[in-house]
Amino acid sequence: MKSKTNIFVLMLLAVITCIILFPVYTVLLNSFKTRSEMLVSFLAFPKEFTFDNYIITIQKLKYVSRFFNTLIVTVLSVTGIVFFSALAGYKIARTQSRLSKVLYLLFTLSMLIPFHSIMISLTQISKIVGVRNSLWGLSIINIGLGVNLAIFLFTGFSKSIPKELEEAAAIDGCNEFQVFRYIAMPLLKPIAATVAIIDVLWIWNDLLLPLLMLTSSKDFTLVLGINQFFGLYNSDWTLALAGLILTSIPAIMFYLVFQKYIIKGIASGAVKE
Amino acid sequence: MKLHKTKTLVLFSLPAFILYFVFMVLPAISAFIYSFTDWNALYKDFSFVGFDNYVEAFFDRNFIGTLSLSFRYVITMVLIQNALGLTIAVLIDSMKRQSIWRTLVFIPNMISLITSAFIWKFIYTKVFPEISAITGIGIFGESWLGDATLAFWAVTIVSVWVGVGYTMIIYLAALQNVPVVLKEAAIIDGASNLQTFINITYAITINVFLTLNGSFKAFDQFLGLTGGGPGRSTQVITLNIYNEAFAGNFRFGYGNAKAVILFLIVLIITLIQFRVMRTENS
Repeated sequence: MKSKTNIFVLMLLAVITCIILFPVYTVLLNSFKTRSEMLVSFLAFPKEFTFDNYIITIQKLKYVSRFFNTLIVTVLSVTGIVFFSALAGYKIARTQSRLSKVLYLLFTLSMLIPFHSIMISLTQISKIVGVRNSLWGLSIINIGLGVNLAIFLFTGFSKSIPKELEEAAAIDGCNEFQVFRYIAMPLLKPIAATVAIIDVLWIWNDLLLPLLMLTSSKDFTLVLGINQFFGLYNSDWTLALAGLILTSIPAIMFYLVFQKYIIKGIASGAVKE
Repeated sequence: MKLHKTKTLVLFSLPAFILYFVFMVLPAISAFIYSFTDWNALYKDFSFVGFDNYVEAFFDRNFIGTLSLSFRYVITMVLIQNALGLTIAVLIDSMKRQSIWRTLVFIPNMISLITSAFIWKFIYTKVFPEISAITGIGIFGESWLGDATLAFWAVTIVSVWVGVGYTMIIYLAALQNVPVVLKEAAIIDGASNLQTFINITYAITINVFLTLNGSFKAFDQFLGLTGGGPGRSTQVITLNIYNEAFAGNFRFGYGNAKAVILFLIVLIITLIQFRVMRTENS
């Protein structure tokens, strides 16, 4: 009985998957066509593959520099979020006082605030503080916005790791920071990986905050780059399509490499009970 | 000893707290305060106007339209994304080689929303007309981004395309959390599997609220695909706030009042979520 249903199920699933992948496939296919060939048909297979679109687009999109801009912002932001939140979350979990409870609430309650509710005033404050129009400025704003969820996760996780080692290390003469650095940090690694992955995905693909903060084209991230590029070349589909593929590749590669952790993170974050 | 503990707690929390305070707490407080002013970025002076902005929002036809559109979009998303996500999860769950299917279905989730919007713009404006010419199916020949009703669906399709993989993974995990022994026992007994049922109800609750919350904040796909058009027909609340403050009007006071209204809506949804999950857990 089971094998019969399987064929039907398999076909249904195959059709759904094909529909889901169809847009990416079509964009990929056409990105290798010459303009004249594209005018004939968008669905036909290219008669000859050309890489010209990619070569031109890599230059016009300033792909390499924008890739590194995105990388800089992502690395700075994620390192900051993970390190600062590990420090705070771990200590909040280890301290039993009114202050630690207040801090925990203060840090985590803001998870209820949508970014769009604070974007107007955040833009104003960033102008006043002088962090607009720079990659490091964008990074520290990302840290400020990202610590709430990270501290929530670090605090929860720290409560589950045993205290005995830390107490032994303290008796042996380690100071508070050394205990954190050499005893707690290695134990916090699993949750640090989860936090890092969540934040890489968010920051790498973020549009709105960079759109509000970066006005000079030389600072643009990949997402801002494609946004501007598409506005300029949206009648020239040969270049636009290559640009879309180039912009999507890094995130898809990241997914394929860290797939196991990403899937586990999503599943465990939600299905905890 | 206690003083020392407080000191280290403060020291350890300080780096995170400073950035958090400046870029999260301060903007939140000032959004609230400025929502009671007539602050316009084009003028230097502003004064407090009480609840005028909120009253204006309440009678602002465009804003009410925007709100009702957002609600319509959110409900549509919850229904379609969950129905489809659950269906795909059930299909994948019955497969032998699950990971390959899961990987393929999840790929769109990794593409940024603005890129996804542009990919689909190509599909709607170039590929759909060709499909219509070949197959003769009329719906593909329509102007998907030029017609108000179709534009709404055009954006919804992109959102589902990106989001369904995430929903599917949560459902798949819920299905697989059931020990195989139980599953087989249930099949043999012909009885309904209680554990599966409990897991799935829990996953549905989670997914419904995730989609609810996420869809209210949807922005990129609307900006990239329709820009709120044609006319104002796809201008959701986030886009409306953005336009109020950054595209032409510069009415920061009024924009902030709308921002606070968005916060209150999301807050209410979350409070309902907590209540529902608490009763479900007990």
